[in-house]
Amino acid sequence: MTIPLRMLYISVIQVILTAVITYYLVTNQYRELSENNVQTLETFLISQKEQELKNYTAIALSSVEHMHGLNSESNQQVVEEMFKNMLYNDEDGYFFIYDDQAVAIVHPKQPDRVGKSWWDLEDDNGDKTIQILLQRAHEGGGFYRYNWLKPSENDKELKLSYSVYSDKWKWMLGTGVYLDDVYEQLGHLQKEINNHLNNTKQIILIVALSSIFFIFLFGFAVNLNHKKRAEEKISQLGQRVIDVQEEENRHIARELHDGIIQILVSIKYSLEATSMFISKNKQEKPAPLIQAEESLKVAIQEVRRISHHMHPQILDELGLSDAIESIASDFSKRTNVKVKVIKPVLRKLLPDFINTTLFRVVQESLTNIQKHANARNILIEISINNTWLTMMIKDDGIGFDVEETNNNNGIGLRNLVERVEHHLGTLDVESSDVGTVLTVKIPTASFVNHFNDANIKAK
Amino acid sequence: MIQGKEDKISLLLVDDHPMVQGGLLACFSYYDDIEVLGVSNDGETALAKAIELKPDVILMDVSMPSMNGIDATEIITEQLPDTKVLIFSMHDSAEFVRSAIQAGASGYVLKDTSSEEVYYAIKAVAKGNTHFSSSIAKTLIENPAKLENDKLTTREQVILSLVAQGLSSKEIARELNISFRTVDAHRRNIKSKLNIDCLVDLVRYAINHGLIEE
Repeated sequence: MTIPLRMLYISVIQVILTAVITYYLVTNQYRELSENNVQTLETFLISQKEQELKNYTAIALSSVEHMHGLNSESNQQVVEEMFKNMLYNDEDGYFFIYDDQAVAIVHPKQPDRVGKSWWDLEDDNGDKTIQILLQRAHEGGGFYRYNWLKPSENDKELKLSYSVYSDKWKWMLGTGVYLDDVYEQLGHLQKEINNHLNNTKQIILIVALSSIFFIFLFGFAVNLNHKKRAEEKISQLGQRVIDVQEEENRHIARELHDGIIQILVSIKYSLEATSMFISKNKQEKPAPLIQAEESLKVAIQEVRRISHHMHPQILDELGLSDAIESIASDFSKRTNVKVKVIKPVLRKLLPDFINTTLFRVVQESLTNIQKHANARNILIEISINNTWLTMMIKDDGIGFDVEETNNNNGIGLRNLVERVEHHLGTLDVESSDVGTVLTVKIPTASFVNHFNDANIKAK
Repeated sequence: MIQGKEDKISLLLVDDHPMVQGGLLACFSYYDDIEVLGVSNDGETALAKAIELKPDVILMDVSMPSMNGIDATEIITEQLPDTKVLIFSMHDSAEFVRSAIQAGASGYVLKDTSSEEVYYAIKAVAKGNTHFSSSIAKTLIENPAKLENDKLTTREQVILSLVAQGLSSKEIARELNISFRTVDAHRRNIKSKLNIDCLVDLVRYAINHGLIEE
C-alpha cells in the first residue's frame, strides 16, 4: 500500500478545517454562555446591593423619624453625631442627608460639605447629582448611579445610591455603595473566561498540529516501508534478470563451442581428408582448398573467442580457481601487470551461480584496475574457513574514491554488490592512494555439500 | 611395444559431436596403422567402452555431457594403466592442460591442429611418450609450472568427501568399484597434499571448506 502525497494533503486540510470549525463553534458557544452568566451574575449582585441599600435606608429613616419632634435644634446635632458613627463596608458605606435646598445636613466622610448648598453640583456629564437624588427621594425612594468620591481610595468611583424622603424632617436621606468592587469581580470572571477560551484554543491547536504530524509520520512510514519493499523487489527482479542473462550466455556459449565449433572442426577434417585423397591420387593440392582451410581456422578462432567472452567454459569444467588463474594469466600477458593467485587446495566446491558471480567480480575488478588503477601487482586470494569463503582482490595502484564511485557511475560495482548479496554474502571495497582491496565474503552455508551433490550422489 | 600384437594402434574416439567423429574417421582411414575400435559420446559411456575394449589410446574430448574428459581420464588411467589418453580439445588454456596432466593424460592436442599432427601424437603416446600441440607447449612454458600438486583431483576430492563422511577404505573401494589399494594410494596423496596426518583433521578440513555438512 502506498499513500499518495495528495491524499496526505487532503487529510491535513481536513484536520485544519475541523480544528477551525471546532474552535469557532466551541468558543462562540462558550462565550455566549459565559456572557449570559456574567450578566446574570451582575444583575444578581446589583439587586443584592439594591436590597441592602433599601434595608439600610429603611432602618436609618425609621431611626431618624423616631427622633423628630422632641427638640429640633438638639436633635439635629444628635442625628449628625449618630450618622457620623453609622458606617459600614470599611467606612465606604455612610449615610448622607440633604434638605430640600440641597444643603448638606449630614455627611460623615466629607464634613466640609455640611451647611452648604449643593443645588447646582454637576458631574462630568452635566447631571445635577443632588437634585436627582432629591427627586428620587420625593418620588418615594429611588436608585441613582453617579460618580462620587470613594473615601477609602480618595478617588471618584461609580456609586449606586438609594435616597428616601423624610416628611417629618423635610430631609432627603440616602446611602450608597461603590460598584467598582462588583465590576472588579465581574472583570475577574471575564478574565477567567478568556483564559479558558485561550486554553481551549491551545488544546485545539495542539491536537490539530499533532494530528497533522502523525498523518505525515504515518504517511512517511508507510511510504518508506513501501519504497523499501519495492526496492527489494526490484533488486530481486534485477538478480533474476542477471541470472537469466548469465544462463542465456552460458547456453549460447555452449551452443557455439559444442555446436558450431564442432561442426567447423568436422568440416576442417573433411577438408583434410579431401586433400589427403587428392595427394593420394598424386595431384597437387588446389589453392582454393588451402584458402578454405585457412579461413576455416580463422572462423574457428573467432567463434571460440566469442564463446569464451560470453561465458568461459573453464568455469564449468574446472571450477572458479582455474578460471581465475586463466583470466589472470591472460591479463598479465596483455597488460604486463603481475597477478598472483592464491587458491584453496579443494576445488569445484561452488555451484554455478556463485562461481559466475565471483568470476564476474574478478573480471570487473581486473578491467577497473587496468583502466584506472595504474597498478603493478595484483593479488587474488581465495580462502575458506569454517563459515566464510573469502575472496580478496588487492592491487598496489593509485586507488579511487569509493564513496564518489558509489554515488556516481559505480553501476558496475553496485551491480556486483547486489549479485553478491543475493548469495547472502558481502562485498567491501577499501581504497587509498597506495592501493585498493576488494573483499567478497560468501557464507559456507550457501555452497556446502555442492561438490557431493554434483559428483557423488549423481552416480 | 604395442605393435607386438597387431602392428596396429587400437583407438577409442571420445567426442560428443558425431560430425567431428566422422571427419576424424575419414582422415584416419588414410592411415594403415590406426584401428578405430569404437566411438563414444560422453565420459560415462567412454569409461564403460574403455574397460570393455581396452584400447591402446583414447582420443578424449574435454567438454562433454555427464562427465568431462578430464575426470574420465583420471578414472580410466587409474583402472587401465596400459591405456594412454590423448586429450583432444578446443580448450587451450594452461589450466586445462595441467588438469589433464594431473589426471594422467599422456598428451594434449588442440582440435584446430591438422589430422596429421593428431596422427603423430597418437603414435607418440602409444609408444609411451608424451605429445603436446606446439601452442600448448608454448602456453606451458609461458605459465611455468606451479606444481599441480597444489590441488586435489576430482577423484581425490570424491574420496576425501567419502572419508570425511565416515566410510572406510573398503567401503569406498566398493562404492567406487576400485581396488582397496587404489583407495589407500589416493588417501596417502590426499594427506600429503593437504599436509594432514590424522582422520579427525581430515574430517574437520572437509567441513571447514564446505565439502560436507557438519
